[in-house]
Amino acid sequence: MQNKPLSFSVDIRLNKRRNLLNFDYSIVLTVFLLGLFGLAMIYSASGSYTLVLRQAMYFFLGAILMITAAMSNFRKMEPIYLNAVWIGFFFLVLVLVLPNSGTTNRWINLGFIGFQPSELMRFLLPISAAAYLTRNPQIKLSDWIIVLVTTLVAFILVFLQPDFGTSAIVLLSGIMPIILSGFPWRFIIYSFLGGIGTLPFLWMSLMDYQKERIYTFISPEADALGSGWNIAQSKIAIGSGQFFGKGYMEGSQSQLDFIPESHTDFIFAVIVEEFGFLGALGLFLLYAFLIHRLLYVAKTSNSKFAKLVSATLSIILAAYITLNISMVVGIFPVVGMPLPFISQGGTALVVNMITIGIILSLRRTT
Amino acid sequence: MKNFSRERFKTGEEYSRALFFLSPFIFLFSISLFQVLNLTLLQGDKYQTIAESNRIYQKSINPVRGFIYDRKGVLLAENIVQRDLYVTPAYIEDSTKTILTLSNLLDMPYELLEKNFSRGVKKVKKYDSFPLAKALNEEQIAKIKVNLESISGIEVKATLKRYVLHEETLAHILGYVGDISSDEIKRDKLLAEIQNTQIGKTGIEKEFDHILRGKPGIQTQERDVKGKLVRILDTQGAKDGKDVYLTIDQKLQDHLFKFFENRRGALVALEPKTGLVRALISSPSFNPNILNSIVDTDEVEKLFSNKESPIFNRAISGQYPPASTLKPFVGLAAIENTVISWDKKIKDDGKFYVEGDPRPYRGWKENGHGRVDMRKAIAESSDVYFYTIAFDLTLAGIRPMLDSFGFGKKTGLTDFEANGLLPDKKWKLGYKGDFWFKGDTINLGIGQGYILATPLQLAMAYSGLANKGLIYKPQFIQPADEKSFKPKKVAEIQLSDDKTWEKMEQALVDVISAKNGTAHKIFDANSAVIAGKTGTAQIKSILPGKEYDAIRENPALRDHALFVGYGPVEDPKLVVAVIIENGESGSEVAAPIVKSAINFYTGGFDAE
Repeated sequence: MQNKPLSFSVDIRLNKRRNLLNFDYSIVLTVFLLGLFGLAMIYSASGSYTLVLRQAMYFFLGAILMITAAMSNFRKMEPIYLNAVWIGFFFLVLVLVLPNSGTTNRWINLGFIGFQPSELMRFLLPISAAAYLTRNPQIKLSDWIIVLVTTLVAFILVFLQPDFGTSAIVLLSGIMPIILSGFPWRFIIYSFLGGIGTLPFLWMSLMDYQKERIYTFISPEADALGSGWNIAQSKIAIGSGQFFGKGYMEGSQSQLDFIPESHTDFIFAVIVEEFGFLGALGLFLLYAFLIHRLLYVAKTSNSKFAKLVSATLSIILAAYITLNISMVVGIFPVVGMPLPFISQGGTALVVNMITIGIILSLRRTT
Repeated sequence: MKNFSRERFKTGEEYSRALFFLSPFIFLFSISLFQVLNLTLLQGDKYQTIAESNRIYQKSINPVRGFIYDRKGVLLAENIVQRDLYVTPAYIEDSTKTILTLSNLLDMPYELLEKNFSRGVKKVKKYDSFPLAKALNEEQIAKIKVNLESISGIEVKATLKRYVLHEETLAHILGYVGDISSDEIKRDKLLAEIQNTQIGKTGIEKEFDHILRGKPGIQTQERDVKGKLVRILDTQGAKDGKDVYLTIDQKLQDHLFKFFENRRGALVALEPKTGLVRALISSPSFNPNILNSIVDTDEVEKLFSNKESPIFNRAISGQYPPASTLKPFVGLAAIENTVISWDKKIKDDGKFYVEGDPRPYRGWKENGHGRVDMRKAIAESSDVYFYTIAFDLTLAGIRPMLDSFGFGKKTGLTDFEANGLLPDKKWKLGYKGDFWFKGDTINLGIGQGYILATPLQLAMAYSGLANKGLIYKPQFIQPADEKSFKPKKVAEIQLSDDKTWEKMEQALVDVISAKNGTAHKIFDANSAVIAGKTGTAQIKSILPGKEYDAIRENPALRDHALFVGYGPVEDPKLVVAVIIENGESGSEVAAPIVKSAINFYTGGFDAE
């Protein structure tokens, strides 16, 4: 009998399909809360209506796509999910081939809109990987190897841009479905040790600015006016926020432009400066709640595909949140990652919102 | 069932594995929270202190605005140092107290400073400074300097301000500078980057702003918590603006400006053979320095609300009926269209009748000029002669000639000049909602009715007569070498008989030289030979039963006096258009200015 990998019994489909709007509203509410808070913070950090307006447009687009994805039936999209990764590869190659201004090739400009293919890949890759791994009842070793090779190719393409932070995320997004789907533990340990073995080579292939970031992380105050500037200033901003913060639009560090990239990667510093420890705590709780709700799908779903996709996407989201915040507070090297739903940046916002939409859909239909 | 095979997956392990791989992030997340706790609560005071002393600023350094010189290198506009008192709201603890102290120190009224303060606070961000009192004198500076330490948030800044040396004489040519407005930034996004510099608002300052402006530099400064400069960390110098040399002849301009005392009017003087503008006057004028550095806002308001509109540039934007100064062009149109021959005489008895209309079109001379040909009609300015040929020409016959002499379109001197108005049937229907009547054409024949021209357009049209058909693009920028300068041709008017040019010139010379010429009063055998034409522009049409004498009781309704001329005729050096608003007699008030301009320029000046 021919395999229909992602299909389940007819009665379940009928039961669930009736309730198109039966998704987890607490997740939607949290995302909207974060997004709107982000818009307010971008305004405080940049003082530019234009930037806020543009981000608001992306937020609107993201909201539409999120709700659309949440209302869709993932089972019907099986061929799309299996092949989605090719779209990602197409753009990743395109971005490297196209002549770009500056020293990095991260952006594709469609004239009216620009986006980062690497952001797209870290979201398409785990979906395709999960779809591929679960297309047959039994996963063969060769399936895992094919997914692994695909992941490594995607990783290298992003690494070449060069974008260290996102390439690590892409690697994680491809490897997670492999590991979660039952890849034997001893192989995981072997690969981990093998990975450590390649670190020296990886270090050598890093760009100078990337190496500098790691040096800076080790001793940020050593060169307070040079490359340690970002971290030092961001710590001052956070610390001076104290318990209650200095008030919205009142943070001297951010208003006087002491925090570089204050509306993108370092926006967390602005938040703490203006809303204090209390504001930070609130944000931490919101994020923790969001990840908790998203993981609920991975826990309760009866579809392996749904479990793999939702778990991987949740982990990626958690990784973004954690790495960004730990970078801004100075306990992790500067890797250039946005804070999900809050940092200014259209591609990341839209992709994150679609991610949420897909998990919502998985939760509803499985 | 098929689905049973799925149970062979170790389902359930995905979640626990997910938690396992999530744990490092959960760990890092918790550590981050502790770090925030550590920074804000345990080390909060320390960081608060650092943040307060953390005052490294990047200030833009304004470039020095380029100077403006005349054609001979005479300085027209420079920059002078002005000391202003700046305040930064964020560093002022008690604004009332600070303002009170300052008002005592500066000996300035509290209310004025209070007004400036509340106005400024609204405009800038908390940590930005704004000027509270401008152009401090030595005594004020001395007093402030002594007390600088005890008052926080204040600072005396020396800035370069635009200063126009000849003040009112050059106001309309040079224009003035000012701060960049938000509207201007909307129109030109690049201006946002140079927000602290001043840009040209009108005149040369605006037209050549891109040359004069320069590029600002950046200075990185360290300041203490009260905003006082501790040290300079880095300086990237500004790129100063470049100087501009104008075609204007300052001595000529100065000489001619005196004629406009207590008069409203305008003058344009340019070289017909090159288009280089040598003098340009609009009166009443204003002192551009009042606007270049706005110290007293009341004075500025007075300037802008003045009913005589001194800021308005009449020379390039004022639109007047050309009146009789249009006659030579109508005459050329008639000759070219063979409506009349040069020597054909027409009887002028002071009145012109159109068939079916009992109302006569009157000439300016009650009983007429008798039998006149073109030469005499120009010299004596016969209205009936031109009524007749205009009637025969029709609108379609007159317009092309006027158009080729540049009426109704911009000359290209600046972007800000007016178009004038060369009416046609479509225009009248659109703007007046009425058809074009024969009477409109007849009035057009003597430069009245709907036609309007700027003094600049008149000067340009007469340069076409002086050059026998060639008109060059006018310009304000002095060429590096005048002798090898090749002006840009904007019109080349061909007549079927070249001799017509000389005949017309002779008629224009007769205006002054002939005994009956309308401007014979300025005839002077020792002067350069000048060709020109008087004009008297009616601003109120004379109604039946009401004579001009009744109208002229209101000075604002008196006729405008015009004279446009060039000379010396054998080698025209200068063409001059003069209009005196409500001056009544072109020959008495306008013509002497033109004559003086040509004589001064050809003899008086170059002889030196």
